[in-house]
Parts: sequence; structure tokens; C-alpha cells
Amino acid sequence: MRRWLTGWRVSLRLARRDLARHRGRAIIALVMVTLPVLAVVGADVLMQTAKVSATEGMDRRLGTVATARVEILDTLTGVVQAPDPLNGLGSGEPLSRPTSVGDIEGVIGHRTMLPMPTQTTEVVRTPHGKETMVGTQLDASAPLARGLFRLESGRWPATPDEVVVNKAARDRGVGNTLTAVQADGTETTREVVGTVADATVRSAAIVVGLPGSLPVLDDAGPSQAWLVDGPPISWSQLERLNALGVTVTDRQIATHPGDYPDPLQYSSSDSGTTMQVVALIVVMALIEVVLLAGPAFAVGARKQQRSIALLVASGGTPAQARRVILAGGVVLGAIAAVVGVVGGIGAAWLLQPLVQRFSGDWLGPFDVPWPHLLAVAAFGLLSALTACVVPAWIASRQDVVAVLAGRRGDPKPGRAFPVLGVVLFAVGILMAFLGAGGHGELTVAWSAVVCVLGMVLLVPVVVSWVALVAGRFPLAIRFAARDAVRHRTRTTPAVAAVAATVAGVVALGIGTSSDERENRETYQPSLVMGDASVTPSYSYVSVDDGPTDWSQVEDVVRDRVPGARITEVAGVAQPVSGDSWTDVQFRDPAAATAAVDEGQGEISPGTWGSTLGSDVLVSDGGRLPPLVTAADPGGDVARALRSGRAVVFSSDRSKAALERVTVEVQPTDDEGQPVDPHSVDVPATVLYRAEDAATPVRAILPPALAQRAGIDAAVVGLDVEQPHLSKTAQKDLDAALQDLATPATVYVERGYEADPMARIVQWVLAALGAILMLGGTLTASFLALSDARPDLATLQAVGAAPRTRRAVAAAYTFVVGFVGAVLGMLVGFVPGLAITWPLTAESYADGRGPYLEVPWLMIAVVVLGLPVLTALVVGLFTRSRLPMATRIG
Amino acid sequence: MNTPVLHLEGVSRIHGSGELAVHALREVSFEAYAGELVAVMGPSGSGKSTLLTLAGGLDEPTSGRVVVEGTDLTAAGAGGRARLRRTAIGYVFQDFNLIPALTAAENVSLPLELDGAPSRAARAAAATALDELGIGDLADRFPDEMSGGQQQRVAIARAIVGQRRLILADEPTGALDSVTGEDILRLLRARCDAGAAGVLVTHEPRHAAWADRVVYLRDGVVLDDEDAGETVGARR
Repeated sequence: MRRWLTGWRVSLRLARRDLARHRGRAIIALVMVTLPVLAVVGADVLMQTAKVSATEGMDRRLGTVATARVEILDTLTGVVQAPDPLNGLGSGEPLSRPTSVGDIEGVIGHRTMLPMPTQTTEVVRTPHGKETMVGTQLDASAPLARGLFRLESGRWPATPDEVVVNKAARDRGVGNTLTAVQADGTETTREVVGTVADATVRSAAIVVGLPGSLPVLDDAGPSQAWLVDGPPISWSQLERLNALGVTVTDRQIATHPGDYPDPLQYSSSDSGTTMQVVALIVVMALIEVVLLAGPAFAVGARKQQRSIALLVASGGTPAQARRVILAGGVVLGAIAAVVGVVGGIGAAWLLQPLVQRFSGDWLGPFDVPWPHLLAVAAFGLLSALTACVVPAWIASRQDVVAVLAGRRGDPKPGRAFPVLGVVLFAVGILMAFLGAGGHGELTVAWSAVVCVLGMVLLVPVVVSWVALVAGRFPLAIRFAARDAVRHRTRTTPAVAAVAATVAGVVALGIGTSSDERENRETYQPSLVMGDASVTPSYSYVSVDDGPTDWSQVEDVVRDRVPGARITEVAGVAQPVSGDSWTDVQFRDPAAATAAVDEGQGEISPGTWGSTLGSDVLVSDGGRLPPLVTAADPGGDVARALRSGRAVVFSSDRSKAALERVTVEVQPTDDEGQPVDPHSVDVPATVLYRAEDAATPVRAILPPALAQRAGIDAAVVGLDVEQPHLSKTAQKDLDAALQDLATPATVYVERGYEADPMARIVQWVLAALGAILMLGGTLTASFLALSDARPDLATLQAVGAAPRTRRAVAAAYTFVVGFVGAVLGMLVGFVPGLAITWPLTAESYADGRGPYLEVPWLMIAVVVLGLPVLTALVVGLFTRSRLPMATRIG
Repeated sequence: MNTPVLHLEGVSRIHGSGELAVHALREVSFEAYAGELVAVMGPSGSGKSTLLTLAGGLDEPTSGRVVVEGTDLTAAGAGGRARLRRTAIGYVFQDFNLIPALTAAENVSLPLELDGAPSRAARAAAATALDELGIGDLADRFPDEMSGGQQQRVAIARAIVGQRRLILADEPTGALDSVTGEDILRLLRARCDAGAAGVLVTHEPRHAAWADRVVYLRDGVVLDDEDAGETVGARR
């Protein structure tokens, strides 16, 4: 034990001194380990800061003073709730009468109760038209409400005629007065007496007033809820209140859910899967960090081989020799852990305001999750230590006599490793197959890990092949390739690091591109690309239940879009509000007369959809909506309509032969009850559309046939051709249309738009991949150059031009980058292709898929472009002349 | 002189096999006693250094026995040989003799620390050894802050620190100027006179003059002492 301890003492001292003597190399290794620790720590701190803890959440929901919030649900039933009712709420026994405030006091005693109804949606007039805001009706200045809002300027409302708003509302143009629209469309004006900040919401517009100050647009009226003071509510009191149909949000109970029974057995998401994902990420990061830091440790170990030989000559055991290298990992890992954690916390502190700008809610207080950070620090230490394992093993097996005689003492590479590599690779492919065949994404992800491990073991073999082939190439490449083989311990991790990175980028690239392709190809446009439609809209404040006044709508549109080409689209008129509806079906007349079951013989396209206002249009074939004509290049639709025939689309090819169809009309009243169903046979042209073809509407009827079928034809929407509206202009036009007596809404077809978040994630991944790859190749090249100084000096001595050194440097960079990238590409294809099955197959009802798209451009950039670029950069920035080579100790 | 500190008995060392086999040493027998400095001479490739690595247990003979302080190195195993190097055998090489990351005192105390000696005791022993060689004031210097002669003195101090009695020196003066080289040999001689057994590999007859005996090697074979006798000059 004592020898073990003193052995470590000597090793640590040697490692510390060696690192201090070779700072450049130490810094490379340090950076490779520190940066991931720093990034993870920074991200973790920011996430924990953004995440509102249970206690912080209570402060936001109850303020800082109130004990609890109680709410009577007017369902006339008892309730069963989780410790925090937001986490689960079920219904209990029926109640005989509505619960009163007195009933609540009967359970929790007489307390101060401050009314605090649930937030409501308010419709507010702004300079842009009508917009919705979040309304809170509460005496925000009361002591019990402290902490819910912060007064930033002005004063609290003193009467129901006064309100305060937040900055987001000010930004939408709310000035000294606020005009709120009531349910009947009339408007009331309140004086805005101050600006507040909500405890939670930052970017949404908020208006706060005393109870009764704001219109309640919900039919049910304001909810009956109160903030209460006094001692915490006990679980038995909570159960009695639940039985009365009252939910309780108690600070004590909600923040300590584990202390109370959860009658709903509320459970969180599958923690097994989460653990697996975390394990997967940790393993992948560990592999990458180990590979990136590996070359620096390998070179360090080589530079120490003389010291280690002397140590062995002085009686050091192989274990003590290994420890010298491992101690280097311990020292660097410890420094990296400390620097990474401290730097990560600092970076998070600096980035906090930036993150806040992208978040709609207020971040929580700055939160440093120490247990997490300890784990991340341990990860840094572990990765540095792991990066040393192979160099240490080699160092302990070196030929001491050879090293002491000034020769290289590398042990011969084992033959077993490449075989193991092939086996691992095969297992990885098998796992990928299984994952694709139904075992899911996680199996595929693990297959990537196994493939990468197998590949790492195969890298030395591949590099030696490259050296064999390199005999035909110019000096620089030949030199670089041979050097790469001679210094396997340095080259292998560098190539493997590049390969692992490229494998990840290629696999994720194929996955996301294929996913993207599925989204793109299954996207059904609602209008012709670039067109806009205007349709009636539901409004919180219905001014007029009558049919839309289209001339008004058109005026607004023409005002905003000068010279717009507007097509009025006529169709089956449907009321905007209420439950009345007119259902129109098309049937095969033969099926109808044979009186088969309901739904039999129905004629309809497989999928249809548009924002034209109705899926059954009425037109004489004159001006058809562009989406309809675009889907009918042969002009069959217009021809049929002009000759007085109905046009019905069908995904059943056999129906295309029909000459007549039965139109069944089924109106329902406001209660949803059918009234006066009727049907009529009409001459029709049935057009075949493939199951998954984008078909805008189900049918188009000529006006005469619509009349015969008893259908109320009316304008259902406007098609505006190519209005060239920006998103802001669209929002403004929408606000103006909302402001009409019969409000309408505008939709602009912008085609398939990738989720911006997904795109950002892709870019971040690509950038990260490029950085990792550059880091891997550049450090390896730097180390190789410093290793090759004597050789380069010899080259120069025998008359090589100064640029030879640059060329060798560039060639080495290229060999590492290119070999790694090609290997990585091959490895990345395995999980990349496999992942497309679970990602894109059968996810859409059309039965198509899996979708596969290989992002060749991105792969070309990564596999060819980046190695060439780094080689050029290295060639350009390498000093062409060497100082006279001296002996390096 | 009773039992030898170092005893080589019919030692052969063959590198490689078949047609590529190189006979570095053939049936070499040789002894070194306490208080004796033995010079091993011979041309390049005669097997001088191989003899030294076998004597220090860094390599194993193909046949024959190497016994140090009564312990058969082959039977001792790798761990046993490492222990003997920590406790009984001291090496001095031509150059790159010291670990650059350790101070003079730390280099000297290295074998003791590797053997698990408490740090303070190891330091004290190192200080004593350095003082004996007249370089006690260099204890805290790093190798690259010392001259070649000073480094070699530190290496000798490391070779004798603790209770070790066998000093194996491989061309210890090869990288030094002649005056400094003579100093080093004088020191080595003094250590042997004080009770250590020394084996000095050299190709300079001038240096061999410091030895009590000279063993000639050629093509891995020891030549008769008589054949070599003529080159042994007067001592000191």
C-alpha cells in the first residue's frame, strides 16, 4: 500500500513537471478535455437557470406571501388532485349543490381570501386592429398578491376603470388608454396607470385590473378562485376541499409532492429510456473526447519514453511506468475539470441575458446544480484518464534496452485488435439492422457507438494500407503517410477522432435530411405557392353573426395589397359560429339505389385540403381558384363545369366511369340535430386522383346543380394571387381583418417551411462537427510537426526547398483528415441508413416511406472540402524554415 | 573477496532466430567482487552493452545464469529484477542519464521512492549521496541546469544511493570532455574502494586503466585475460 502511494507520488510529480516543461502539448490536451466540460457545464447551468424549480414555480403562481390558492370548479362534482393540481386532476363524487365560500371556510377556517380568477383572454384594440392579450383580474397591490407582478412604473389600479399592462403590451402600441372589446362587440376604455412585469411571462402582452375591470368573454364568467393566507393547508383539509369540488394549490404540499400520497398515481415519462439516452450521450461524448485528447497524450508518452526507461532501469515496475503516463491524465483531467466547471459557470453567467432574449418566460434565478457539475467534472477526469490508457499500456511494454540505446522501443501491434475491430463492426451493422427492423432509434444509436469502437480498432490497419499505396505519390504525401504509420499511437486517435465526428455528422445528416424529405414530400399545399386566401374567422367578440360582408373584406385587402388579383370562391356556405352545419356527400347512384349501408359507394379523394373556405365549391367554370386549375392541367374541370356537369374527385379509379352521382345533403341545426336530409342525382364527371395526391376540394358543382341539390351557395373565401406579403404585413392585415364587423383571417401559402428550431439544431451540429474535425486534424498536425523536426531538418540538409516543410505539414493534415473522413463516412452510413426506417417509415397514413435522402453536398464538404481546407490552412501557416534542429530531450 | 556481487555463468544472448540470429554474447562467464572495478572493453558490436543490460536484469539471457548479490535474476522474475534494480543495482549511462522533470535530489531518491521509502527518508539518503560526491549544493537543480559532469555525478549518486553495491556504468564519460571524464572515473573508483562492485563498459584504454581488471569482449566472446593484459596500464 505504501509503495503504491509513494509510487503515485513520484508519478504525479513526474507528470506535473513534464506538463509544465511541455506547455504547448499540455495545453492541447487540456483544451480537448476542458472545452467539452465547459460547454456541458455552461449548458447545464443555463438549463437549470431557465428551468423553474417547484419552489420558484410556487412563487410565480402564488406570489411570495400567499399560502395557497383555492378554486371552486363549477362542475358540481368533487375532484381528486395530485399534490400539485397542474400535475393531475380527476373527478370525484357528484355534489348536490354548488360549493360556497362558506363551505371552504368550514374546512380551513376564516382566512383572508383575495379573489384571483384564472387568467382570461382579452381582445384589445391596438393601432394595428384587434389583438388578444392575457387578462388578470386581481387587486395586484394587495399584500397577499405580493410577488405576482412587479410595478415598473406608474401606480397600481385603484378603481375598476384603471388597468396596468406589461412591456409587451406597450410594444404593441398600448398607450395611456386601453380599449377592451366586450363579448357583444361593444368597447370599453380603461385608463392605463402603470407598467408591470409578470412573474412568469415576458413576451406575451398582459393586462391587469381590479375584478370587474376587464370583460369576461368566456360564457362561464370569471372562475371562482382565491389566494389565501394563514398556516399551510393540511393533506386532510385538501381532501375535504377536493370532495367539495375545490382544487388546492398549497405551497407546502405542491413543493413536496413525495411527502403526500398521489391518488392519481401521476407518473413521469419513461425514466428507463431517459437513462439510456443519457448513457448514450455520455458514452459518445467520452469516445469523442478521448479520441481528441488521445494524440497529445500519445506524443507526451513518446516524449517521456526515455524517462520511463530510466525509471525502469532504476527499478520501476511496469505498473509504475504506466502510472507516470496515467498520472499525466489525472493531472490534466483535474485541471480540465476545475477550469471547465469554473469557466462553464462563468460562461453561463455571461450568456444568461442572451438566452433570456430568446425566451418568452422569465428565467429562474441563476442556479448552479452542483451534483450535476460534479458528475461533469468526473467525466472530464475520466476522459483524460481514458485517453492515457493506451499510451500508458504501450509505455509499460516498451523495450527499455532499445530506448536506452537511443532506438525506438515500441511494442509490436497486436494482431487481435483488428480482428476484434471487424467483429465489433459486424455487431454494429447487425444492431443497425435490428434497430431498422423495429427495435427503434435507441438500438440504432447504440449500433453507432459499437461501429465507431470497431472502427477505432481498424484505423491502424487502414493507415498502414494508405502508407503502402502512398509509395506512388509525391514526396510530401509519401512522407506524411509513412510518418503516420510510424507514429501509430499518435495517428490512430487523431484519425479516429475525425472519423467518429464525421460518422456522427453523416449519420445525423442522413437522418435529418430524410426526415426533412418526408416532411417536404408529404406536405400538402393549401393554395398555390405564394397565394393568399381570406376566410371568415371565429372571434372571441362576435359582433355580427350574419354572413361575412365580403365587399368590406375585399376593401381591406385591396387597401393593404394594391392591385391584388382577387378571386371570389363560392362554395357550400357554413355558418361561422354555432353548431349548425351542412354536410354534403357524393355517392355512386347504383350503390344508393341498392340501399347499401351508410358510407358505401361514397366518392371522395384520398386526401384533400385547402384554405379556400369550403371543400365543396360552386362554380360555372369561369374563374376557378388557381389551386384547382393548377391541379387540373388538362382543363377537365372547367370543361365539365361549363357543360353543366358536377366535378367529383375520387381516389377509386373504377368510379371514374360514372356519368351521374348522387348528391346527399344533410343539414344540421344549432343543436347538431339533422333536419330535412335530401338527395338528388346529377350528371357528373368523376376525376381520378391518386390516394396521396394533393387534391384541393372534394367536388365542384355548377350553380344550377347546386340549386337543384338545395345547397346554399355563397362566397366562402377569397383567393388573392401572389400578394407578396411579408409575415409582419400578414399579421397587420390579419389584425385589420379581425377588426371588421364580420371578422376574417388571412393565410399565405409559403410552401413547406422547415421548423426553424430543427434547422438551428442542424447548423449547430454541423458547426460542432466542423470544429471537432478541425480541432482533431490541426492538433494532430501540430504534434506531428513537432515530432518530425529532426526528419525535416535532415530533409532540409539534403537540399529540400523550404516549401517542402509546408507541403509535408499540409500533407499530414490531409492524410489524417481525409482518411478519417472517408472512414467516418462509411461508418456513418450504417446508423444513418438504419435510422431512416424508424424515423420515416409508416409515420404517415399514406403508406409511403421510408424516405431516404443522403445529403451528398454536405458529405462532400465534410469528406473532401474540410480536409483540403485544413491542409491549405496548415500549409499556409506553417513556418517554412526551421531553426537548426537540436537534440530534443 | 568472498562471494561475488555479480556473477555471470555461461551467459549467452541470441537476438532473433534462424538465419537472422545474432549471437550478442556466447558463453560469457564473469565475476565482479565488492571493492573491485572491472572494465569491459571491446570494439563496437562486441556485446559490451548487452552484458551490462543482462547484468542489470533489463534483459534476460538465452542461456546461462546471472546472479546479483546471491539472487538468480532469471528465477527472480520481472518483479524481482525490478526490486533488485531498486535495491542492489545502480546504472550510469553515457547521456540522457537523468529524468529531466526531476531535480537532482529527486533523481537520486527515485529508486528509494519507487521502493516505497517515506519521502523524508528518501530525501535524506539522496542528500547524503550527493554530499559524498561533493555536489550537495546542486540538490534542487534540474538536469538541464547542470553541466554534463555534474549530471554524471548525480547519476553516480543515484547508482549508489541506499544500500546498493553494484554499479553498472555504460560509457559514463562518452559525452564529457577529458578532464571531467577523468573526474567521473576517479569518483567511480572511489566508490568501489569504499566497498561497491563496479562494472565499467568503455572503449578507451585510458579509462580502463582505472580498473582492477579488464575483460575483453570480441564478437560476444570473452578473450583470455592474458591476451588482454598488455593494455592494462598503471592504476591512478
